[in-house]
Amino acid sequence: MSTATNVAPPRESKLVALVKRRHFTKGAVNVVLALVAIFWLVPTISLLIISLRPESLFGQSGWWTVFTAPAHLTFGNYSTIFSQGFATGGVLNSLITSLEITIPATVLVALISSLAAYSLVFGFWRGRDIIFLVIVGLMVVPLQVALIPVVQFYRELGNLFGLNPYGTIPGVIIFHVAFGLPFGIFLMRNFLTGIPKDLLEAGRIEGAGEWKIFYRIVLPLALPAIASLAIFQFIWVWNDLLVALVFLGGNVHTPLTIFLYDQTRSLAANYWIVSTGAVVSIVVPLIVFFSFQRYFVRGVLAGAVK
Amino acid sequence: MSRVVLRELTKQYAGNTALSLDSVSLDVAHGEFICLVGPSGCGKTTALRMIAGLETVTSGEIEIGDRVVNDLAPRDRDIALVFQSYALYPHMTVFDNMSFGLKLRKVPKHEIETAVTEAARILDLEQYLDRKPGQLSGGQRQRVALGRAIVRNPAAFLMDEPLSNLDAKLRVQTRAEIARLHHRLGATMIYVTHDQVEAMTMADRIAVINLGKLEQVGSPRELYDRPANQFVAGFIGSPSMNFVPMHVVSVDGGIRVVSPEGEMDVTLNDAESDMIRRAGVTEVVLGVRPEHIDNRPRSGLGLQLTASVDVIEFLGNDEHVHLSSGSHDLVAIVDARTPLRIGDSLTLSASSEAIHLFHPETGVALK
Repeated sequence: MSTATNVAPPRESKLVALVKRRHFTKGAVNVVLALVAIFWLVPTISLLIISLRPESLFGQSGWWTVFTAPAHLTFGNYSTIFSQGFATGGVLNSLITSLEITIPATVLVALISSLAAYSLVFGFWRGRDIIFLVIVGLMVVPLQVALIPVVQFYRELGNLFGLNPYGTIPGVIIFHVAFGLPFGIFLMRNFLTGIPKDLLEAGRIEGAGEWKIFYRIVLPLALPAIASLAIFQFIWVWNDLLVALVFLGGNVHTPLTIFLYDQTRSLAANYWIVSTGAVVSIVVPLIVFFSFQRYFVRGVLAGAVK
Repeated sequence: MSRVVLRELTKQYAGNTALSLDSVSLDVAHGEFICLVGPSGCGKTTALRMIAGLETVTSGEIEIGDRVVNDLAPRDRDIALVFQSYALYPHMTVFDNMSFGLKLRKVPKHEIETAVTEAARILDLEQYLDRKPGQLSGGQRQRVALGRAIVRNPAAFLMDEPLSNLDAKLRVQTRAEIARLHHRLGATMIYVTHDQVEAMTMADRIAVINLGKLEQVGSPRELYDRPANQFVAGFIGSPSMNFVPMHVVSVDGGIRVVSPEGEMDVTLNDAESDMIRRAGVTEVVLGVRPEHIDNRPRSGLGLQLTASVDVIEFLGNDEHVHLSSGSHDLVAIVDARTPLRIGDSLTLSASSEAIHLFHPETGVALK
């Protein structure tokens, strides 16, 4: 019996094919790509440099002068904004609040979307396609139109059950989950339709119930989709200002976006706090992105059928 | 005892007026290897999926090991199904694929280990236990799918065209492997295929299904020698049986069967004459297998025909010769050493035992 492994080589990208045909050297392509990458990184790098320069230099010279006088760089700004620790109103307190909102809002969307998509794809109930179409339709609803009705709805909840989510962190989370679900379900459903039904039937025969099939077979295979959904949702919620502003109005705990917004609205904006706080707020999405990208693997379904 | 009994099993899919499976009854003995064969879409896979519990039963009964299982979930039926697509879990190693069912049933760890190791040994998969399905060849994947079924030691094995994705050489090899496996395990196996060669070579008994109906059940030899009707006669055997509509004529108090143009002529024995008289037909369909037509001189009983050669297919040991006799096309298998050329005119014959007669309207074999 042969021991051949039958692993197909990755297909050449069009760019690679183009390079081969036109006899571009690999080096030239790399230089162009590097230039594009640097161009895209300029705003982020400048922000980082501004945050590392003393506050006093901000009005005097541009950030690019750092390349001629690198001695001016200092972590002073960081030690100043971190010096408050976790006290209310400080940057670290806002960071924690942002995480408190974003993590549950992301986990819930990923979980509920996967479950809903599982039911839409592999369930046996009638009308699944219609429900899916309605969900897709909901994707076009801009969230601005829902702000006031939801605030009223929250208040009504408070009148009826004594639980008014308005002004609380769960209130913001519920709103983000509700608006993240249509896209989440759309993405997951389209991915799950690619999983062969035979796999589920095999599991069913071997003794797995619906729940086991979901988390032992479907969920591991759907990881690439879940990872991309989680990144989308995380960054969307992390960067949200509007919803937090409306729903956390009087709350003393504010997410980073509101923290930064508060720094700019006074007449003399604290640009050193804004730049330093912005760098802090970039770090978390970067960590999320780099820790999830290992799930973006091609060919998760290789070898399942045929 | 793991007997599998189907009683008037019927399936009608929602929105379909036709029945996908029409009152099929079948009794599969313990340890028997039975093949369900038929053309694509005949209902054989539906039948298998109903036994597995993946399709609901419209009417009728399924019994596995003396228990009616109609309302049992697939996992409670004590069966294993090998899918046409193999349906391996791509994110699990070969070991995990094979042990998945046992783990779900909370079998102790050392027992799982023993069962999987044993199955891997039988199937020659020992060195692949840590690999994922994507790293295996088609044949190896197929054996993992078999292994997954074996480790559970089920009352019955159900197989849905497990060889159809393998290349020709591997298919022959794996065919023998499955036959050996059946012998070794002594388990009841129900095997679905559209390939009559697979059915003929492996099965104890074959059930031929067409358009949802069971046409005939019997040993491969029975089906080959005494097909119940024209469909079974044409489906079993390759190349398939030649059929020619013939006239029944009375000659000298006896009867003969001749083709409309007179190139074919059958001298009937007494039993065959009686059959035609009992059926009271004036037309009959003659069936004769290609391998039973030859150019040996024969006199007396049997078929005589004259034909011209259209196409010769050389296969090494023998040749398939496509002939036209009057307005009919026939195939005959002849020894490859016979000197033949296209356009040759031949006189051929077949012995009386090789003659099959079918009712012209119903297609049922005359008895």
